[in-house]
Amino acid sequence: MKNLKLASREPGKRTIIDIDGVTVGSGLVVIAGPCSVESEEQMLESAHAVKQAGANMLRGGAFKPRTSPYAFQGLGLNGLRILEKAKKETGLPIVTEVIDPRDVSWIAEFADVLQIGTRNMQNFALLKEVGKSGRPVLLKRGMYSTLAEWLNCAEYILSEGNPNVILCERGIRTFEKYTRNTLDLSAVPAIKELTHLPIIIDPTHSTGRLSLIEPMSLAAVAAGCDGLIVEVHAKPEEALCDADQALTPAMFTRLMDRALPLHSFLKSTKVL
Amino acid sequence: MKLEEIRSRIDKIDRELLVILQERMGLALRSSKFKQSISDPEREKSILAKIERMNLDLIEGSFSRQLLQTIITESKRLQKEDRPLVAFQGEQGAYGEVAARRLVPEGAYIPCMEFIDVFRGVEDGSLDLGVVPVENSLEGAVTQVNELLTTTRLKVIGEAKVPVNHCLLATEDTDYREIRMVYSHPQALAQCRGFLTRNKLEPRPFYDTAGAAKMIARENLKAAAAIASALSAELYNLEIIKERIEDGPSNSTRFLLLSREANAAGGNKTSIIFATSHTAGSLYGVLRLFAEADINLTRIASMPLRSEPSNYSFFLDFEGSESDEKIAVVLEKMEKLTISMKNLGTYPADAASR
Repeated sequence: MKNLKLASREPGKRTIIDIDGVTVGSGLVVIAGPCSVESEEQMLESAHAVKQAGANMLRGGAFKPRTSPYAFQGLGLNGLRILEKAKKETGLPIVTEVIDPRDVSWIAEFADVLQIGTRNMQNFALLKEVGKSGRPVLLKRGMYSTLAEWLNCAEYILSEGNPNVILCERGIRTFEKYTRNTLDLSAVPAIKELTHLPIIIDPTHSTGRLSLIEPMSLAAVAAGCDGLIVEVHAKPEEALCDADQALTPAMFTRLMDRALPLHSFLKSTKVL
Repeated sequence: MKLEEIRSRIDKIDRELLVILQERMGLALRSSKFKQSISDPEREKSILAKIERMNLDLIEGSFSRQLLQTIITESKRLQKEDRPLVAFQGEQGAYGEVAARRLVPEGAYIPCMEFIDVFRGVEDGSLDLGVVPVENSLEGAVTQVNELLTTTRLKVIGEAKVPVNHCLLATEDTDYREIRMVYSHPQALAQCRGFLTRNKLEPRPFYDTAGAAKMIARENLKAAAAIASALSAELYNLEIIKERIEDGPSNSTRFLLLSREANAAGGNKTSIIFATSHTAGSLYGVLRLFAEADINLTRIASMPLRSEPSNYSFFLDFEGSESDEKIAVVLEKMEKLTISMKNLGTYPADAASR
């Protein structure tokens, strides 16, 4: 990976990002919230629930990349306004996805972190645009991508003058059908060997199974990830997308009650 | 013309009709200050007759008569409400109106072209109250208003500190991605420069923030937006694309409420204006009185006198009422130490400004 001028690891250097008071890269950061912003009521209810359980940032999509053009595409600008309100009420910084280069500067006015989804990992025009946005970027790994391809995409963002990139492993396609994707946990230590950028884990999309989210989250914490991004919906049965993989607030609280002590324990015993 | 285009022009005309009607109702309210009774059958007759003489083939005489009659009836109903007429400078939706609505919730808000129109209107009794900005937390004193305060007979009966919350406004069917031009007062454009640059929007100076919102609504402009108050969005039925688009920490403007009569209920804050002679220590002599009487000053500003540029007026706001004994004593002593002195009045301080 000699072509990585900015992303490759340098001795002693780790990128630590301050996002409106939340630090990514020096502890465990948990981003939680629904798949998409569906209504003000749903978003605010979910936001308060994840805040209560101890989440550090709020996720929620206003612009959705859907497999089918007929599926719910997101609320757009209205969704952004709802996210802004949710931040005002809970104080949680907002993470939201961008799918169109024309929207980047506008979304950056509302959100604290711009997310590049797995399907857009190699959308180079979009990467350049978020590189210019001045906002931290959460770069998900493409579901068919190698670590080298992924880091080259981070390099695109860094080379536009934006040093704040958070990598997110969200599972890759394998021949296994039981899980939605295969969570590549080896990416966590591997990424730490290759780059100074923080890496977080998405246990929701990688497994696609409610029962696997908590165990894989704990495994990710043990592997030394810098954070988790988890789908939580106040009423999952009513969700407009990914209804069968969103945690209820109670399930998320349980996850937090296990993940945080595990992280502290591993820190105190110098495993991490 | 395509159907879509025709509809968009109809929408534009409907908006214009309402904006113009609002203006007409404001004028009707002002006219009531000049007449004894609200009803004026002669005047009504002549209005209707004039309208009927217009020969428009699509507007039947009976229709225009009916329409005008409806407007006149509504305007008489408004006049009967007898709301205080509160003047502010700028177009409807200006920050001055935001302040006026806060200070006089039950008022009828009358836009004036210039600050002097607000002062003269209240002084001559054609308007009941006036709301004028004295200072902005970023830009400093509003010199025109401060100058008018030095010569007016009006009393200050209230104050409001209004946060300037700039919003990006556009007509409802505007796609934010198509916005290219943004109209507003140069000061508002300057305060939102970062936002405009980040989103590659071209600033277009306009005479007034609310005026820009009004223009966007009336013209039904696409690919354009205005920077103005949230109130302007409400008044002109525009969509707020983004609130708080100013670059720095939000600034605020302090407005004064002016009346011909002093505030009978008194208050806890007093404003005065004075000038001292050109002798060593004369200003100090005045300020010392306040220090010794333990009176807290909340604002002190100086402004050259237009009539004698080598002399200054000093604006002093302090905590307490002119009816407090220690303040009455200080004001009396001041008479001897100043060459001119004017008490603007005691009024309740805006809790938000403390």
